[in-house]
Amino acid sequence: MIGVQNLSVSFGAVQALRGVSFQAQTGSITAVLGANGAGKTTLLRTISGLIKPASGDVTFDEKTITNEPTEDIARMGVAHVPEGRGVIAEFTVEENLRLGALASKVNIAEGLERQYAQFPVLGQRRKQFAATLSGGERQMLAMGRALIANPKVLLLDEPSLGLAPLVTAELMGTIKQLCAEQSLTVLLVEQNAKSALRIADHAVVLHVGAVVADDAAAAVAADTRLRQYYLGLNEQ
Amino acid sequence: MIASIFASRILNDLLGGITAGVVIGLVALSLVLIWQSTHVLNFAQGAMAMFATYIGMTQLDHHLNYWVCALISVAAGFVLGGATERVLVRPLYGKADINPIVVMVGFLSLLEAIAAAIWSGTPRFIDPPFSSIFFQSDGAPTGLSPFALFQIIAAISVMAATALLFRFTKLGLQLRASALAPEVARLLGVRVNRLLTLGWALSTAVGAVAAVIISTGDTGLYPANMETVFIAGFIAAAIGGLESPGGALLAGVVIGVVMQFVNDYFNSGYAGFVGVILLIVSLLIRPQGLFTKNAQRRV
Amino acid sequence: MNFLRQNTTTRRLVVTVSSIVALMGLTFVVPPITNSTLTRGAAIVIAILGLNFLTGWSGQVSIGHAGFMAFGAFGTAILLKHFSSLPIAATMLLATALSALAGLLVGIPATRLSGPYLAGMTLAFGAAVPPLIQNLSSLTGGPAGLQLETIPTAPSWLRSLRHDTTSLITVNAQWLAMFSLLVVGVAVMLMSNLHASRTGRAMRLVRDNDVAAELVGLNLPRTRVLAFTISAAYAGLAGSLMAFTKGSVSPQDFLVGLSITILSLMVLGGIGTISGAILGGVIYAYSDNFLSWLTNSTGIDPYSNLGSNLKTIFFGGLLIVTMLTAPRGISGLISKVFAKVRTSR
Ligand SMILES: Nc1ncnc2c1ncn2[C@@H]1O[C@H](COP(=O)(O)OP(=O)(O)O)[C@@H](O)[C@H]1O
Ligand SMILES: [Mg+2]
Repeated sequence: MIGVQNLSVSFGAVQALRGVSFQAQTGSITAVLGANGAGKTTLLRTISGLIKPASGDVTFDEKTITNEPTEDIARMGVAHVPEGRGVIAEFTVEENLRLGALASKVNIAEGLERQYAQFPVLGQRRKQFAATLSGGERQMLAMGRALIANPKVLLLDEPSLGLAPLVTAELMGTIKQLCAEQSLTVLLVEQNAKSALRIADHAVVLHVGAVVADDAAAAVAADTRLRQYYLGLNEQ
Repeated sequence: MIASIFASRILNDLLGGITAGVVIGLVALSLVLIWQSTHVLNFAQGAMAMFATYIGMTQLDHHLNYWVCALISVAAGFVLGGATERVLVRPLYGKADINPIVVMVGFLSLLEAIAAAIWSGTPRFIDPPFSSIFFQSDGAPTGLSPFALFQIIAAISVMAATALLFRFTKLGLQLRASALAPEVARLLGVRVNRLLTLGWALSTAVGAVAAVIISTGDTGLYPANMETVFIAGFIAAAIGGLESPGGALLAGVVIGVVMQFVNDYFNSGYAGFVGVILLIVSLLIRPQGLFTKNAQRRV
Repeated sequence: MNFLRQNTTTRRLVVTVSSIVALMGLTFVVPPITNSTLTRGAAIVIAILGLNFLTGWSGQVSIGHAGFMAFGAFGTAILLKHFSSLPIAATMLLATALSALAGLLVGIPATRLSGPYLAGMTLAFGAAVPPLIQNLSSLTGGPAGLQLETIPTAPSWLRSLRHDTTSLITVNAQWLAMFSLLVVGVAVMLMSNLHASRTGRAMRLVRDNDVAAELVGLNLPRTRVLAFTISAAYAGLAGSLMAFTKGSVSPQDFLVGLSITILSLMVLGGIGTISGAILGGVIYAYSDNFLSWLTNSTGIDPYSNLGSNLKTIFFGGLLIVTMLTAPRGISGLISKVFAKVRTSR
């Protein structure tokens, strides 16, 4: 379980988060939705310790981790796949995956096998440089690299960005499956609200740094006002 | 007869140039290691290596063996490099280019002055562990001595070891990741700060190997004894591409050979200028370095 | 608006001229040693102004400015040897032009570089100049260097102004100080106009933001080459003034250590400000006095290993501490204090 209480973050005069609070339950997917600039990326970066908040707290399994360094938060089992995926283009697929395993106690060979079984395309391309991968393959590599260390929490920042609708649908299916199998706590940041709401259990909607909705995914999906004003979903 | 004398002179210069060149290559490698991990060009690198060598080699006074003293020098380089990153360099990450340049230039003059204050400016001569008399071939010297051979083997071994470390070990993978994508590395639990410190420590240890080699034999150990080779090493690193260790080594050898020929056929006073001209020409041809693969480089 | 700008130009002129005149007045009353100190600092002020133009106003760093100073100094000595009838001003201008030319040649490839690469290249250049000079001995006098054929001596009007009892050495020291002040005054005046000019503003734009500079249609490479050339010209003028006031030039006077000294003084005084350059010159001029005070008060033998390296240790350490804690130097600290005083009122 991961949560934030009254979290506020500022960049100079810009207040990116204004007293954000919510909880994400273990073994469920929580979608974090909102328009561009709503503060979604800032929220994830603050959770993983890359940004220190002006006030408020981040808690992970009842433990306050607000002031822990990013490396330690990662080692506790919070895996963050950043916006743009963060694949190291100069590394091979396998080197990227190995890097993900180094800070944990998992057996690297076993971990690699597991990820190659989950994402067969990575196995086929294990010696290729990540620079040669397609967008969808990169997203799989980034997820595999995060999952290889057996995390408890998975933070995904716009995984569907730049992917074709079919690839996105497949990716969402994988996320749903992984969450169930490994009882992960998933925070799924998306601008693509439709895809995210399809697999999410719960949804939080951000608007200019503040929470405007925090409810079951189905309820958010059914709320006409939310759909229209904050999620950009047309009634058709 | 004339032709054979001429050929022998060329061979002499070539071998002498290679001997000097591998050390220039080591200095270049040391610069590249730091550049890759922290994007700081360490102007104090030669001085730091010199200082570490003083710490080790003055132990000869306590009747320690040459090899033990050399080892102490390298260890001192390791510690000095790590400490420098922690104290002087860390506050400078993310600052304008000029800040680290000025701090490292200040550190360069500080270290040279402290060395002169402790150990005086007079050169200290250290007997080489192997003979430095040239091998003979048909009664003519070859330009290569047992010590020079040792020098070449030592330099190449250090470079190979560094390459293997970076390419094939877990530590190397983490070091490279910290350099290429520090934020991503941190998100994967890599303790990037420690690795940057380690990068500086390793690089300064490599520099100390070069300084030990240079200080042994007829150059001697004195506070400014790394200045010339540091500049040559910088030129090699810039020509080879600051992103490319192999290129830096190759460029180091080329510069060593060219300077040897300039010294022999013209005058040692021109060697520095020839280096500058080599640098300018290579930058005009290929600003990203002659041996870097990717075209874009932030220059 | 136009009137205002003219007004500030006039004000700058008035301030500079009156300070120079006041200082010149002082040269009559201070002891000859103070005049020599003034003279020593003057050349350094000009060199720092030059480096400042490059670093402070265009964001590039040079660790090889002593090389350009050597061009100015040896240019002066060589010109005097072959054309001794040339007026001093003409000799200085030609030596400055020579150095500017060297700056242009180094500056053109340097535009392809920035930051550390450029600094490394200027270091290689600066280190290569003294050995080169030593080896062109037919022209430069080799390691020993050259004595100047003519040096400025006090004109008769100055001698007659002073008491008859004043020794010729004293009057000459005063004349050299007045001469140096004049050159510094001109250099400062030109620099502050340059700072306010279109070019100066362009330089600062280049320093602060490459992209913005490109957007407003600045020719970046050309602006950088220009900065380098002007900067080298100032270094050359400093070298020329040094040659005139010392009466001799030697390759040993222009080692990399001098480049580092200039860089340190610029940072200590305050990067990018004229007042910082002047402060730097004052620090340089009085550093020996400070050092003797330091050795006296600590009881360190000035001729010991420690004593003879104390100056470099002190200034090297000070440079590092300044850059880490107060990167805008003394003039930055002063304006900070003033700002505080103003707001607290
Ligand atoms: N490093 C930063 N510096 C200044 N402003 C920032 C920074 N990062 C984000 N912001 C601002 O914070 C707000 C939220 O940004 P972000 O978290 O990236 O939104 P989202 O991911 O929802 O698109 C935006 O107004 C953005 O401009
Ligand atoms: Mg975002």
